[in-house]
Amino acid sequence: MAESFLQISEPGASPTKRACQTRAIGIDLGTTNSLVAIVDGGRPVCLRDADDQAILPSVVHYAADGTIVVGAEAHDRLAPEFPRDTVASVKRFMGRGPRDAEATRKLTPYQFAPPAGDGNVVRFAVAGGRAVTAMEVSAEILKVLKARAEAELGAPLDGAVITVPAYFDDGQRQATRDAGRLAGLEVLRLLNEPTAAAIAYGLDKQAEGTFAVFDLGGGTFDISILKLEDGVFEVKATGGDSALGGDDFDRAIADALLERWGLGDAAAHDAKLVRRVLDGARAVKERLTTEAEVSIDLALPDGRRTAKLTRTEMELLVEPVLMRCAGPVRRALKDAAIEPAALSGVILVGGATRMPLVRQFVEKMFNRPPLGDIDPDEVVALGAAVQADVLAGGAGQGDMLLLDVVPLSLGLETMGGVVEKIIHRNTTVPCGATQTFTTFADKQTGFDLHVVQGERELADQGRSLARFTLKGIPPMPAGMARLEVTFTVDADGILRVSAREETTGQETKIEVKPSYGLTDEEVEKMLLDSFAHAEEDVKIRLLTEQRVEADRIAAAARAAMADTPELLTPEDKAAIDGALAALATVRDGTDHLAIRAAVEALDVASKEFAGRRMNIAFERGLRGKDVDAVEKKADETAPKRDLASRAGSHAGHSH
Amino acid sequence: MICWSCEKEGGKGPLCASCKAVLPPDAANDRFAVLGLPRKFEIDLGAAEAAYKELSRQLHPDRFAKADPRARKAALGRTVEINDAWRTVKDPVKRAQYLLELAGFGLAGDDRQTEDELRKTKQVAAPPTFLMEILELREELGEAQRAGDAVKVAFMAEEMRARAAETMKTLGAALGAGKFEEGARTLVALRYYQRFLEEVAAHEERTASGGGHG
Repeated sequence: MAESFLQISEPGASPTKRACQTRAIGIDLGTTNSLVAIVDGGRPVCLRDADDQAILPSVVHYAADGTIVVGAEAHDRLAPEFPRDTVASVKRFMGRGPRDAEATRKLTPYQFAPPAGDGNVVRFAVAGGRAVTAMEVSAEILKVLKARAEAELGAPLDGAVITVPAYFDDGQRQATRDAGRLAGLEVLRLLNEPTAAAIAYGLDKQAEGTFAVFDLGGGTFDISILKLEDGVFEVKATGGDSALGGDDFDRAIADALLERWGLGDAAAHDAKLVRRVLDGARAVKERLTTEAEVSIDLALPDGRRTAKLTRTEMELLVEPVLMRCAGPVRRALKDAAIEPAALSGVILVGGATRMPLVRQFVEKMFNRPPLGDIDPDEVVALGAAVQADVLAGGAGQGDMLLLDVVPLSLGLETMGGVVEKIIHRNTTVPCGATQTFTTFADKQTGFDLHVVQGERELADQGRSLARFTLKGIPPMPAGMARLEVTFTVDADGILRVSAREETTGQETKIEVKPSYGLTDEEVEKMLLDSFAHAEEDVKIRLLTEQRVEADRIAAAARAAMADTPELLTPEDKAAIDGALAALATVRDGTDHLAIRAAVEALDVASKEFAGRRMNIAFERGLRGKDVDAVEKKADETAPKRDLASRAGSHAGHSH
Repeated sequence: MICWSCEKEGGKGPLCASCKAVLPPDAANDRFAVLGLPRKFEIDLGAAEAAYKELSRQLHPDRFAKADPRARKAALGRTVEINDAWRTVKDPVKRAQYLLELAGFGLAGDDRQTEDELRKTKQVAAPPTFLMEILELREELGEAQRAGDAVKVAFMAEEMRARAAETMKTLGAALGAGKFEEGARTLVALRYYQRFLEEVAAHEERTASGGGHG
């Protein structure tokens, strides 16, 4: 066999027992459990720990002495004892702010730290006086999985694909990406969980046809309709609820138990009580999957409490939560323009789909029993590993291709807070779309553009992704300026927005930075904080980050010089060339501070040049027409005046 | 187009004729040409979908994840173009509208048109009597929805669907015969029917999801 060949390792890499073409990994970063998988000899497999467990409980404990414990021990032993210092279900906080529902919930074991900086990120107050963000907590889970893969494959890794719920918005995706960076992973792609499941299932069973993937995990619900044909996995429609899952079942059961025991008020300020009742509720729910009735006997802080619960009683408690899945299922089927009878099968993913009630619900919604021959825990990680292998250049899956969609519509806020959708949900990525806007007020000289994601009609009901301002429109009557706004979404789901003033044909481009992302400085600071006890690691990571930054800046500078040589004075050119050369000499060294200094020097050297480029772009892009032309146009376009009402009411720059 | 990679003439296809590097999109191609289809209304959707998938397989950015940045950019541009083309071509109404745009007809009240297009195209609008009729139907629908009269809403929707299907046939025949002006008038009517049905669907969704946000 070819094993002897495959065992020849690359220089610098330790020998490996695996027959892998690439060292790319797939990670299922779940609300309750996380897994890592690789493609080995053409087949995806989940990697196991020393105890032969593939599943890593997504629980992170922060001890007072700075030690961090992740996984089963944190879940089984430390969470009951130190509920505030042991974060579970952190995924529900990803990309969420301190004012979001998740952080203002009454029944929570956590204490939140006052927001830092711009206050957009939730922080947990844990032992040792530390405050950690959801990204940092997730990064601890990722680090354990990364180490497991490195031990198996021989470092370094080629990169990782991390799965996210299909219904995650841009902010939640950005937070997941940041967590990957914090863990020192090169994130090749964020892959939607139901899509990952379909890949693993489709490749394993050689399945063809249109399938529904019903994915009910610990904290999120996704429904996707996919067409599988000749190795092409085409997502037809996706929907869901990024705050609906098994945790909500536990909470409904816990609420009922607390009420039965008269502890409803006590739970509001007793973290241990909340943790134990939530854990008890989860155990009850799991036992009632196979049993008809269970006795509960919980050791609570103020003594033992007992109760009996039948499966029927439990189902009555969780049914209202489960019913919230119905709307997204109906909508996805409608968006995919398919009747349940035309489906080839329904694939179940996520631990919560083990509940008999959930299976009955799925059977009723789709008019058929779901497929039961896959492991709902491992299937997502397996699919992620396949996609990671493809992206890293592995030939194992040959012609496999994934066509995914935008999960939530992307639009701009217009007059009266109404959202004008520019890219509709379930559009295949990559994609682009253009919409024309105009001024709302006479002599308006600027546009405030507010990029929003979501299906609601009003901006304050959707998720705000970014705000930016375009200035410098010459004063003219309302409705005269014509701004063409283009949205582009690449294969990674990253949105870019550009605006073009039609009369001059010049462009201004803005890359949308989601409000919930972290800046590079924040990431660096977190890296420093989290690795305070492992200086060597910090250095290596900082060095890598800094080299990436150096390459990015140098490439940008060269591209700008090639693009607009006419804006470059001989002095500028000499200064920039000098700075580039200086950067090149330190780039491959080991001193990240030297690289950083060289990057900053380049920044200074190119400042004037960059400023001129910016000015020219804005001036050209937004220069108006002369008055005669404007008045002539006014007659021609009179019937189109209704457009004015679609351009921002936030005529904040009208003078 | 001169190939960015081998610097020879690359030809009209997505891949360079001499070195097979992926070339950036060519603005001269219309959306039918992008998928290699003839520019007409009656098409074989199955063959068109196969062409779409085959092009995606060749040109999707995932195929170029580790390639030269210029190849990655070209692949991205090509795939955006392919996806946009397929979105237009697979939907008969979008396909008809696009054919009419190519033939120089614009639809009055279409916000997507730029001023340039407005000036250059022949604008076709619905006759006032038709607009009056649609307005009355919309009012009737609104009343039935407010009264929660699901039977009446379903009945009106069914009638409208039949009317739209009939109009779709007329549209196809007109476009097939090269009668673009008649096609444009038919499409204007069809779009009003579609908006009616969209309103029915939107109301259903609002009611099904507990409502109250509308």
